[in-house]
This record gives sequence, structure tokens and C-alpha cells, in this order.
Amino acid sequence: MATTTEAATGFDLALTEEQELAQRTARDFAREKVLPRAREIDEQGKVPRELIAEMASLGFLGIYVPETYGGAGLDALSYALVSEEINRACASTGVVMSSHVSLVVDPLLHYGSDAQKDRFLRALATGERLGCFALSEPASGSDAAAMRTSARRDGDAWMLNGTKNFITNGASADIAVVFAQTQPDGGSTGGSERAKARHRGIAAFIVEKGTPGFSVGKLEHKLGIRGSDTAQLLFQDCRVPAANLLGGAGEGFKIALSTLDGGRISIAAQAVGIARACLEDSLAYAKEREAFGKKIVEFQAIQWKLADMATEIDAARLLVWRAATLKDRGEDHILAAAQAKLFASDVAVRAARECVQIFGGYGYLTDFPAERHYRDAKITEIYEGTSEIMNLVIAEEILKE
Amino acid sequence: MKFLVCLKQVPDSTVRVKVAADGKSIATDGITWSISPYDEYAIELALEHKDGDPSTTVSVVTVGPARSRDALRQALAMGCDDATLVTAADTVGGLDVAKALAAVVKEAKPDVVLCGKQASDDDQGLVGPALAEALGWPHVGMLTKIAAVADGVELWREIEGGHEVWTAPTPVVGLVHKSAKEPRYPSLPGIMKAKKKEIPEKDLAALGVTPGAPRAEVVAMEPPPQRGGGKILKADGDVKALAAELARLLHEEAKVL
Ligand SMILES: Cc1cc2nc3c(=O)[nH]c(=O)nc-3n(C[C@H](O)[C@H](O)[C@H](O)COP(=O)(O)OP(=O)(O)OC[C@H]3O[C@@H](n4cnc5c(N)ncnc54)[C@H](O)[C@@H]3O)c2cc1C
Repeated sequence: MATTTEAATGFDLALTEEQELAQRTARDFAREKVLPRAREIDEQGKVPRELIAEMASLGFLGIYVPETYGGAGLDALSYALVSEEINRACASTGVVMSSHVSLVVDPLLHYGSDAQKDRFLRALATGERLGCFALSEPASGSDAAAMRTSARRDGDAWMLNGTKNFITNGASADIAVVFAQTQPDGGSTGGSERAKARHRGIAAFIVEKGTPGFSVGKLEHKLGIRGSDTAQLLFQDCRVPAANLLGGAGEGFKIALSTLDGGRISIAAQAVGIARACLEDSLAYAKEREAFGKKIVEFQAIQWKLADMATEIDAARLLVWRAATLKDRGEDHILAAAQAKLFASDVAVRAARECVQIFGGYGYLTDFPAERHYRDAKITEIYEGTSEIMNLVIAEEILKE
Repeated sequence: MKFLVCLKQVPDSTVRVKVAADGKSIATDGITWSISPYDEYAIELALEHKDGDPSTTVSVVTVGPARSRDALRQALAMGCDDATLVTAADTVGGLDVAKALAAVVKEAKPDVVLCGKQASDDDQGLVGPALAEALGWPHVGMLTKIAAVADGVELWREIEGGHEVWTAPTPVVGLVHKSAKEPRYPSLPGIMKAKKKEIPEKDLAALGVTPGAPRAEVVAMEPPPQRGGGKILKADGDVKALAAELARLLHEEAKVL
């Protein structure tokens, strides 16, 4: 029995000059413009529109879109670097960016027709318009294909009906990528044939704000990333022009999955950023705080926590960089992205827990950033595929043979 | 209008500087380098002109070791048009740097040469005035604003409690103190545009400069002494005694009264 697995793919750890510059711009911007406002963003539950506009003017919102479509023409690795920096400062701001870039700009770039790219991609890449991605529903999250939102052909348009749930940027976005079932009885769960049928029936639509029948429902109140809005989107006989169908009518599910594969890299990068915030804040605090006549950083118990955090953060970052590099090479990155997200989100949650612990009682107060990291970290284990779903994807990939 | 901004690459302001083993320089391995802050303001002032009048060109030049190329690349990414690297050892003195810059300026023929008022590493503030002297051009320091006027430029200087406005014929050398807006970040599209630009490299010999023996030498460098902990006086109800004790300490220990 052959027991040797395939050799691991190597990748270059050195950053190019422009990747380094992009990282530097993001780091300086995050430190000077985002970090000082992170607490206010969390408390007020709002990422200021002008902060988003500033990110747009720096090119973050179209980072790996080719210049011909108004983007900066960098790559997925640069995007991961920028994501880490922004999320180091503020995870709410980070998710506004990543929902827009990974989940809206990306599918338009890959599946949009030339006309759709001209009409929508340019405005999204320059940040003139903000995007949101509407897949989840009240009764379907992990099992996205069980969606009930329906799309019925109606002349040269599609008629959308249904409710989308948990949509990041939902209230503030100008453009939504919306998934809907085009086959009437495909939506109900059933045997494997039915399951295949319901995948085949899903289509993706580009829906503009202001389209009659499209409205924003209730806003959710959340544990963390409170500055990013999470909204319900309602579709009631919403007529979407056939020209706004993204990809083929049966391609929606594939679009959703491949979009999420890429998106997971930036959520993993977000997790690394949050974990880094935990480590950096913990280090600073532990060097100042005294107990039993010593700085607490002198206690080995604290040092070991810091050492574990540092090691895990580096390991998580390497997984992120590998997944991004594979994406840039045009190679399959389903496994790498799922591994990066699974591991990095776990690292972030643990780092946040230890960060609060190192801060002691002050870690429990809103006067210090530790509790915000604690609340923010958790979401990385949930959205764009829960950790359980990541395990499912990883197992499926390694059992493929 | 044609601007030429002279910049220096220095350790980033976030770097915790350590003294090297030789005891007279700083340890440079693994540190982050940046454009010196006053030079960044100079770039920003020039770029603001370009924002208002797209016919403006902004060139940058530095005299320094090969790693200085990164600082030039950053300036290009901020929006400067072209860059020149004059390679020279770190140890070349300010006067020779000024001579090399003068040679570059003579070739480029800008209307306005801007320098930061001083570099944040040595804080000598030598190169700008020396450059003006080498060129035989007027120079004005402590600038916060530059405006084009009919027969030259209007130069705003910061002075105690206000500002002075000077006019100068071009060409002129300006030493920049600050810009109204914070220096812009290199945008990502700017970074990609900068990537496509060549940065020509020259050496001192090609500019006719033979570095002389340094006229000043750093003989020793040491970190500032550790600050002692503060002292907290306990108020046990007797405020008068507390005030007397405070006055005594300020007089006898802190020696400020
Ligand atoms: C703040 C926030 C922002 C979000 N933003 C967006 C957005 O912009 N767009 C969008 O479309 N969605 C968004 N979501 C939705 C998010 O992606 C879903 O919440 C997530 O996919 C989980 O779905 P669910 O909540 O329905 O949980 P469920 O799918 O009901 O899962 C409940 C639990 O069961 C587990 N589980 C489910 N299936 C399996 C299985 N097969 N094997 C083992 N365990 C399983 C899950 O891991 C989880 O622990 C957002 C959610 C939040 C909270």
C-alpha cells in the first residue's frame, strides 16, 4: 500500500517591491487613520463613509482588479497583506473592505460580461459604489443551496422574491450580488438527485439599490464587528433586467462557492490581523502592568502565552500567504484557503481569549481594546463558512482521490 | 513649474534606534527605512502644486547607499514624475552631498528646488543651505506654503506666532518645515505606476565630486540615560505640608525652582 502523499507545493516567501509598498501604505494608513477611530467605530456601530472613501482613493477597493477596469492591478497576496494591516487596526473596517472586494468585485471580475464589467466593475473597483453579497437566508446558511429566494423569468427580466439574511454592507451598499433559485421546486431539501437539481437551478444577479421591489429590512445587533452593518434584504416582485444575470442561469452555485474560496483567504488574513492586535496590545500591556513587584511580562505564565500567540500567528500567516499565492498562480486553492481560514480563525479566537486574560480585569472593560478583539475574533469562525464547514471542505478535498 | 525635491532615506520614526557595536553609529540591520519627514512635507508641497496645475513636474533625487532606491520608489508612488539615485556611501559628508545635488540640479534645471529643513537622523540642516550656496541661488527656510506669482514664487515661512510671506525669483531653493496637509500615502495605483519607471543611477565621480575627508566626525553615540521613575507625594490631609514638601523637592532635587 502506497502511503506517501503528494509532495507539498513550495512558494516564495519574499515580497516584491510593490507588495512591500502596498503593505506599507496599508500599515501607515491603518495605524494613523483607522486605529485611532477603532473604538469609536465599534461604539457607534458605523464605519465612517469618508474612511471608506479614503480606502477607495488609496486603491484598496479594487486592489487586484486590472487597471483597465479602474483597479490597482496588484494581486491576491497584496490584498492579504492589506487585509491583515487594516484588520490589525479595526475588524469592522476590515470586513467592509473584504465583503466588497472578495465577494462582489471578485465575482464580477471573473464572471462578469464585458458590458457588466464596464457598467459595474469600474465603479466598484474605484470605490465609487459599494457592494454586498447576498447568499445566506433566514433558513439557509451553511446549506446555501437550500435557499428559498426565487427568480422567475419574466420577458427580458427576472422577477426576484425572497429574503436574504445577515448581509454585510447590506444597508450601505449600492450594488448587491444576489443568489436565487430559478427552478420552482428546487428549493426544498431532498435526496441527492434533488440536491443536484437545486444546485443547478441557482443563479446570481447584480441588483442595484433603488430597483423597485428591493429594500433593506432590519439591521442586526451584533456581538462584534459592530461597525459593519449587517442587514436583511427584501425582494418583493423585484424586476432585475436579464442583462444583470451574472454568468449562466445555472452557474450561480459555482459562482458562490468559488467566490467564497477566494473570500476565505481574506477572512483568514482578517483573523491574522485580529490575532496580531491581540499580541501587540498584550505585549505593550504586559510590559507596563506590575503585580507582586514585577512587570507581569516577567512571569513565565505570561511569556508562554505570548510565545504561543506569536508562533500561531506566524503559522497562520504562512497558510494565508500560501493560499493567496496559489490563487495568484491560478492554481486550485480550495483546500489551502479552507485550511488557512480554519486555522487562522482558531488562532484569532485563542489569541483574543489570552489577550483578555493578560489584561486581567481591565481586559473586561471597554476602556481597553482587549474585549473588542475578543468580540471581533469570533466572527471569523462563522462567516464565509463556519469552522465545521471548513473541516468538511478540507476532508472532502483530501478524500477526493 | 518644475520642482526638484531632494530627499534622504532615514530610519523610520517608529524604529527603536540602537547604538551599533562600534559605539559611534546606529545598528541598521533589520530596521525600516523611510523618507525623512521634512522631505515628505517637501514632496507633498510640490505634489499639491501638481494637483492644482497638472503641467507641474516633480522630480526627486537622493544621494545615498543603494537601499535609498526604495525611498525614491516611494516618492514615485506618491505621484512624483521621475527620480534619480546618486549612489554614495553613508559616510559622505553634507558638503559633498550638496555638491553632488548641485550637479544634478544644474542638469535638471528646475524652477524650485525643495529640501526638508533638516533630516531626521542627524538633524544637521546643512545640505539645503549648502546646496543653495553651491548653486549661487537664493534660499528661504521654514516654508509651509509655496505659490506661483508673476515673476517668481511666493514663499510662506512659519515664524513665532504667525507667518511671513517672501517673494523670490526662480530658480530658488526652499527648505520645508511643514505642509498644510499631511503627506499623502502612496496609493496602490501609484505604486503600480511607479513600478514601470526606471530610476537612473549615477555615482559621485560621474558628477565630478570627489568626497573629501570628513570635516566632522562622530566620536561616540550613546542612548539617553534611563529616566528615573516619577515620585508621588501622598496627601494625608495636610495640604500645606504637602505643598511645602513639593516646593522643597522641586528646589533641592529637581532644581527647577
Ligand atoms: C456578522 C455576519 C455577517 C455575515 N455576512 C454575510 C454576507 O455578507 N453574505 C452572506 O450571504 N452571508 C453572511 N453571513 C452569514 C454567514 O455566512 C452564515 O451565518 C454562516 O454561513 C452560517 O450559517 P447559519 O448561520 O445559517 O448557520 P447554520 O448553517 O444553521 O449552522 C449552525 C451550526 O451547524 C453547523 N453545521 C451546519 N451544517 C453542518 C454540517 N454539514 N456538518 C457539521 N456542522 C454543520 C455549523 O457549523 C454551525 O455550527 C454573515 C453572518 C454574520 C453573523
